[in-house]
Amino acid sequence: MNPIDIPTFQPRLKVLSREQVLAIHTAALEILEKTGFRMEHPDALKMLADAGCRVSDDNWVRMPGHLAEQALKSAPRQIALHDQKGNKTMPLVDGNPFYGTGSDTTFTHDLETGQRRRTVLQDIANFAKLVDGLENISFAMSMSNPEDVPIENIYVYAFAEIVKNTNKPIVFISDSGKDIAKIHQIACAVVGGEEEFRRKPFILNYSEAISPLRFPENVMEKLIFCAQKSIPICFPSGSNAGGGAPITLAGAMALGIAENLVGLTVHQMFGKGSPFLFGPNVSTLDMKSTVVSYGCPEWALTQAALADMRDELYGLPIWAYSGASDAKVMDAQAGAEAMFSIITSMLSRCNLIHDNGYLEYGGISSLEMVTMVNELVAMSRFFVQGIPVNEETLALEAIHRVGSVPGSMFLTDDHTFDNFTQAQFIPKLLDRSRYDTWEEEGAQDFYKRCNVEAKRILAEHQVEPKSDEILQAIDKIVQGG
Amino acid sequence: MSEFQALSEAVLKGDIKTAVAETQAAMDAGANIQDILDTGLIATMDEVGDRFSKGIIFVPQMLRSAKTMQECMKLITPLFQKGGVTSKGKVLIGTVKGDLHDIGKNLVLMMMEGAGFTITDLGVDVTPEKFAQKTQEIEPDIVAMSALLSTTMPSMPLTIEALQNAGVRDKVKIMIGGAPVTDKYAQEIKADAYASDAGSAVTKAKSLMGIS
Repeated sequence: MNPIDIPTFQPRLKVLSREQVLAIHTAALEILEKTGFRMEHPDALKMLADAGCRVSDDNWVRMPGHLAEQALKSAPRQIALHDQKGNKTMPLVDGNPFYGTGSDTTFTHDLETGQRRRTVLQDIANFAKLVDGLENISFAMSMSNPEDVPIENIYVYAFAEIVKNTNKPIVFISDSGKDIAKIHQIACAVVGGEEEFRRKPFILNYSEAISPLRFPENVMEKLIFCAQKSIPICFPSGSNAGGGAPITLAGAMALGIAENLVGLTVHQMFGKGSPFLFGPNVSTLDMKSTVVSYGCPEWALTQAALADMRDELYGLPIWAYSGASDAKVMDAQAGAEAMFSIITSMLSRCNLIHDNGYLEYGGISSLEMVTMVNELVAMSRFFVQGIPVNEETLALEAIHRVGSVPGSMFLTDDHTFDNFTQAQFIPKLLDRSRYDTWEEEGAQDFYKRCNVEAKRILAEHQVEPKSDEILQAIDKIVQGG
Repeated sequence: MSEFQALSEAVLKGDIKTAVAETQAAMDAGANIQDILDTGLIATMDEVGDRFSKGIIFVPQMLRSAKTMQECMKLITPLFQKGGVTSKGKVLIGTVKGDLHDIGKNLVLMMMEGAGFTITDLGVDVTPEKFAQKTQEIEPDIVAMSALLSTTMPSMPLTIEALQNAGVRDKVKIMIGGAPVTDKYAQEIKADAYASDAGSAVTKAKSLMGIS
């Protein structure tokens, strides 16, 4: 009989005990029952009232906890996001992490000049194409709010541009029930109809309530539309500590979770079993600059805590962020802050991890940053795979061969030849060359190498094109009234 | 300055109880109300603003000082209404139509009050017509608008248009701000100033009013 294999322990970060998880959840329910929230969508308000909520003047709702518990039960544990070819590339479930870009930056760093400038539609195309060409970036977002399209249809233009430049899954923004319907139409056109889309969704909507405890009508329109059409959605609010929420992280989490539970409850009322990605954004408001920080340790900590809450209690896949920075250029601070959130989000097994490639606390999108993140995700993934311990990896035979035969060495041993590509992390852009080589090759720093690589991908990568029929259908929907 | 040393220190510390007591004491002792305001409160808030911009104190400390000043103002304001208050300027403020995010606007509001401006807050989701109507009514020196979302930014030029149509555009200075707003955008829509944060909003407002 063969010996039993030793399972490989894969490093895992935990930040909350079960008692802490339950206390935060209880606090969230108490917020809904005792403080309540403002619901500004008439149909949602009526549904909540009919379900047993107390509604008072000014659309103020107090919600019994059991409604939230019910919604947590009916939402699916897995959200299977597909690519646009129908392959299930992003099974959002348990501890599967997937990294992607962000949205809505006002500025970008020009790839040629390095200057910070306003974003245009072509930038959205570039980011989508870059994502398509990077193996560790799993989904695309717009990254930019382009200044050269009509602002009342900005998100429809952005979405169409992403679709034309990548076949990966897309996380999208919209303004209200009006433009989201158009975006849904485009998505259906891409995969060949609404039924096909329901079976293999490739888009996920990002909508935000307003912390503290306010649910505007246009935001709820989107949520209800997604619930009815089975479009996966996440619904974080801006419960950043000190701004939209209390300064202490536990309270900020409780408030953000309470707001998420309102969204989830209404969502499940309008579309029982529709997919809902759980999780608030709990960053901090910087007490000097009043910016919401994207490089802070607090956000990494609260999303790790949320992963613990998923495992202990909620069971729903979660929304997270990483690979972003408050630095104004892609410097050492940007690298440090990006890696901090990338490795912690992976160690804590967050699921859908967005905002990779942000600088200036979400003000600037950077193609070089996204290219860097691709490498850092690979590095982190290598780390969390742990150290397999078995006969092959213990390598006693190789040790014996090399150790007992004078003049032999591991570098020439078959065991090295057979194993080195799995046993080692092989960087693409992180530089380990000898000094002279590095100097001869232009003495490029990491930023410069990422710049060159981003340019190379944009020049060489071929996105599998969509048919003329689909492209025409998209343009027709975009142009249509 | 030394006359109101204890009041000044209490405002700097954000010690509301002491500051209110010191204000009352100064009033009881017959101090000039305008001096209490200018020397005791506004000059101290200038010092607070200075300490904040140097990074010596943080936002919550600055806001506590501002709140302390407000509490002191409650005592002296009623007396001013008889004698006529001298304010650094009247400001009408709100988030534009379609935008419900008001944390940034509220910060600007508190900092401006602390700096001695008189503020009328229209709240959130303020229509161009409402801005215009209130401008006609209270005749502010500055109209300040904020937007957090790119999609609500077009409400800013619409508001300016409404002020124009109401014939009051040239009687006010217009300031704008908010995450997606830029200096360039302010120039495009012909606003008079753009401020990137609450601190610079005060600086810009002062320079619009021709005070340093």
